[in-house]
Formats: sequence, C-alpha cells, structure tokens
Amino acid sequence: MAATRRLQKELGDLLSEGSPLKKSFRDIVVDESNILLWHGLIVPDNPPYNKGAFKIEISFPAEYPFKPPKVLFKTKIYHPNIDEKGQVCLPIINAENWKPATKTDQVVASLLSLINDPEPEHPLRGDLAEEFTKEKKKFLKNAEEFTRKYSEKRPAD
Amino acid sequence: MSGEVSRQMSHVSEGSAMGSDGNSSEDLDEDDYYMDNYDDLDLDCPSKADDPEYFEYEPLQVIDAERMLNEEIETLCTTLKVNPSTAKMLLFGHNWNKEEIIDNYQRDPQGFLIESNLASRRKPDRLVGAKPVCSVCCREVNPDRFLSVACGHMFCRECWDMHFQTQIQDGITTGIECMAKECSILVPEDFVYEILTQPKLRDKYSKFSFNDLIKSHPRLRFCPGIDCAVIIKAKECKAKKVECEACGAVYCFKCGLNYHAPTDCAVVKKWLTKCEDDSETANYISAHTKDCPRCHVCIEKNGGCNHMQCPSCKCDFCWMCLGDWNNHGSEYYECSRYKENPNIAHESMHVQAREALKKYLFYYGRWENHARSLQLEEITRENIQTRTQKKVMNNEGTWIDWQYLFHAVALLKKCRYTLQYTYPYAYYMDKGSRKELFEYQQSQLESEVENLSWKVERAEIVDRGELENQMDIAEKRRQTLLKDFLEV
Repeated sequence: MAATRRLQKELGDLLSEGSPLKKSFRDIVVDESNILLWHGLIVPDNPPYNKGAFKIEISFPAEYPFKPPKVLFKTKIYHPNIDEKGQVCLPIINAENWKPATKTDQVVASLLSLINDPEPEHPLRGDLAEEFTKEKKKFLKNAEEFTRKYSEKRPAD
Repeated sequence: MSGEVSRQMSHVSEGSAMGSDGNSSEDLDEDDYYMDNYDDLDLDCPSKADDPEYFEYEPLQVIDAERMLNEEIETLCTTLKVNPSTAKMLLFGHNWNKEEIIDNYQRDPQGFLIESNLASRRKPDRLVGAKPVCSVCCREVNPDRFLSVACGHMFCRECWDMHFQTQIQDGITTGIECMAKECSILVPEDFVYEILTQPKLRDKYSKFSFNDLIKSHPRLRFCPGIDCAVIIKAKECKAKKVECEACGAVYCFKCGLNYHAPTDCAVVKKWLTKCEDDSETANYISAHTKDCPRCHVCIEKNGGCNHMQCPSCKCDFCWMCLGDWNNHGSEYYECSRYKENPNIAHESMHVQAREALKKYLFYYGRWENHARSLQLEEITRENIQTRTQKKVMNNEGTWIDWQYLFHAVALLKKCRYTLQYTYPYAYYMDKGSRKELFEYQQSQLESEVENLSWKVERAEIVDRGELENQMDIAEKRRQTLLKDFLEV
C-alpha cells in the first residue's frame, strides 16, 4: 500500500527529537496492525484551552496521500469550530483544498492554531460563535469551566 | 382581413424559435407555406427589434460544439502564439472573452499567465542526489522520473498519475492543480495526457473537460431536457426563451430553468424555492372545487377559463375571486390585484405574519391556478382536434380551414404562460407607481386571456373573426407588458 511508506516516514518525523510540535501534539499512538488510524493529545497554549488537553483521532483513507485524512475530537471541547460530535471544519483537509504534498504535521499545526484562535466567521456551532463575538467575557468563563470539567490532564512538562 | 390577423399571430409565435438565419425559405412544408408566405404583405408584423422576446440561437450537436470550441481555441493560439492547452485554460478561466485575454496578454504575457495560474516566478525544485525522494510517496526515484508543471514542484510520474486518477474520479478535470501545499498552478491538458496511463480515464478526462468547457462558455448551454444531447448556441447570454427542436423543452437560456418572462432568473429561483417550502399549506387552502356563490352547488373546474357559469343556476362568476363576472369584463380588472392591509405597520407580529401568509397565498393561488389551467387547456386542444376531425369527415370544410382554432389554443397557452409568470414578479415588487402600472397591465392581460379562453372553449358558436380579433388583443396585451417590464 502506497500510504504505508509515507505514513511511516511522517510518524518518524513527528516522534523525532527535532519536531517543532513536540510539546503541543504528543502521546501519539498508532496501532501496529493499522497504520491508518492515529491517536494523540493536543495541548493548546492559549486561554481558555490552556487549562487542559484534548484527545484527537486522525484517520487516513486507503488512498492517502491522494485523499485527505479526517480529524475527530475524542474529548469534549467548548469551541465555535468544533461540534458536539467532535467534528472539526479544517480547510486544509477539506476535500476541495487537499494537496497530496501536505504533511500531517502541517495539518496538526493548522488544527492547533484553530484551537488557540477560534474563527467565528465560519462556525460549526453558531451559538458559541455568537457568544464568542458578542460576549467574550462570558464565553471565556464558560469555556474555561467546560475545559476544567471535561478535558484531559495536561502533561507535567 | 381576419386571415391577416391569424397569419400575424402565427408569425409572432414562430419569431423566437427562428435560428440565426431568419429566412430559411428552402424547405417549407405546407403548414409553413400558409403561415409565412405572406410575411412581406403583413405591414404591421412585429420586427426583430420590436419583439421583446426575440432571441437568436441555434441547436448544435456535440460534434459541432466541439468544432466551435476548437476554432475559438485555435484563433487564440495563432494570435498569442501559445499552445492549445494554454489557450484552452485561458479561455476557460476568463469567461471565453477573447478580446480581454488578447489585450491582457499582449500588455504583459508573463504577468497575465501568472494571474491565470499558468506560470510562476518560483525557481524550479533542484533534485538532489542520484536517487532523490519524491515528497508525496517518500520513495527514492530515478531523477528522470520526476516532472513538474509551471511552478517547478517536482514529483514522480507515478504520484502524478495517481493524483490525476483520484481527481478525475471525483469529476475534476480542468481544475486539477499542482500537488504542492498552497500551490494553485493549474495542470494543462497536454501534461495530463502525457502521464495518464489508463485509456478509460483518458476518455473520462476528455468527456468531463468538454462538459466543463461548455458549462463555462457564456454563449453555450446543454439542453436541460431529459436525455437530450443538444447544445444551444446563442448570440449573447441573456434570459430569453429557448425551445429545443429535438426534445421540445422550453427554458431560459441564462439559467436553464423553465422560461419565466417577465420575472428575472434570480427572482424566479427565489419564488420556486419559496413555493417548494410553503406549497403544502397553499395546496391545502386552494382546494380543487368551489361552491357556486349564488346557489352553493359544488363545482369542479374542468376547463382553463376562469369565467365560470354555474351549470345549475346559470350565474356567471370568476373562479378566482368568486365575484360576479360582469365586473371583470370592464377595463379595470381588479381580481389580479392584491390589496394590502393599509394599517399593517401598526399591527402585532402575529397579525403581520398572518398577512404575509395571506399575501403569499394570494399570489401562489393565482400562479398555481394558471399552471393548472394550462394543463386543462391541453385537454381543450385535444377536444378541438377530435371535433375538427369529425367535421372534416363530414365535409364541413378542410383540415386547413380549421387550423385557426389550433393557432388560437397555441396563442392562448402562450399568453397564459406569461400571465402565470407575472405573479412571482408582482409578489417581489416594491410598492409604488411601477407596481401599480404592472398590476394594471397584468389585469388587462388576465382579462383578455380569460376572454380568449372562454371563446376558444366555445369555438363552434363563436365567429372566426371575433376569435381572431380576441387573439390579436390578448397577444398585444402580452407584448405590451413584456415590452415595459422584461429587461432586455
């Protein structure tokens, strides 16, 4: 399978000491029998999400890299661009925008920047986007509470 | 004299269907002979400039359309000295506007190609080592297996091939881009053909890209008729009526929906969407039967005409408003005009919503009623056909003698069709003197259409001259309304 070689290479790069995402995307777990399914932990830097961490799942299609991967949140998050099912609208992995030369670390970097700086202009949850733009204080308070209650523990280092 | 009127009407109904060569007098059949031969005697026949619905177009077969596109591409190739793939991409990307392309290209060839995503200022990738690694498949590949498009992003031949296969399977052809992240350089056709290995996909690519080219061409349109392979070529891209000779579909050239004059493309789309959402309520309210306003006997409408006569008490009334028909014959036909509640701004939200629904139902009811009447008019036509056949058998005139009845039904349908499409127009119009004028003309047309419908249904007892006079009046009303309100 063409996807295997490429994914092995990408995984190796992400796990290497030099990876710039070392701190913010970690605990990467890939099932030995299925390299097409990855799990990892997103550790955002900006408030209100910097009080916790979020589990995600990345699934690659058999046609990878000619078709894009999918990203799913496994931890609940209070965010205008992520819905209750954990689905996220990320332009870089949208079928129309996808480029075979795009690497997974670039996808994760784009996801991190969306988490840190929500984009209320194209929300998946309209109610949260409205709160984010009109009542920022209330939004921050709610999101922080939500993060404390539902998110994963942040790694010690 | 009455014959004159009849011929004139036929000419009007033919006017918009004529191809770019208006006088194809070679192979007229008998029908055409009687309708068109006296054209030059017809002094007040509407000219091309006079007819608001006049539109020049011709049907093309796929092969003709292909030839036409290739000619346009070739012209650009020779003028700009570029290859056919580039010319095709330029035309596709710039709305087939040759003059603009030539202008921009001659001013700054490189800049224009960059703007069109067909060239780049980027330095091409340098391949390192004896066996460079392709960044898509991560394999080591011989340097001679690497290829790139205008941007110089190098990938191996196998990856390009897979990329094209995936894109074509998703229906993307002319829009295929380079594989590099954030690179929007387009892949020209010759590059795709050089790499694609599977013959089946090559066919698919050529078919899909031809469809893309037709869809992008402002003066071409695929006939929306079911299984119809005809491509309509028009002189200009306008919201005018096209009648497909092959499948009989009648539609608007600009948007491909059913022809909708005097309403424009955007408004009719809005109206149809609204009707799809709301029609259940409207259907519920506008039932198929009504009670006679005088004797309350239940009446089912079985003809297109809105002038009803109760079979029981013989009173004449209007199907739409149930009012006395006598008030409808006069010059001011009130039935098509929706009367807005003048104090609406001061009413509560609930009342305003009720009023909005009432307004919609008023227009929808009339729209729907004319659509149904059009279907019933088809039955009238069939009845006339049966009766005419009987008459001809009984030696009461020849088939040709009775042709005027069919012209009358055709004209009636045409007028009623336009009338139907005046309702979405009126619904979305702002209040004011222009709306008043529109509704006045609409009511005039409505009144004459109903008169014509009444006379057509009773054609045996109506004098031919009287019927033809009525045809003339109805068509004049229709033309007047279109001249004033159809944007040309």
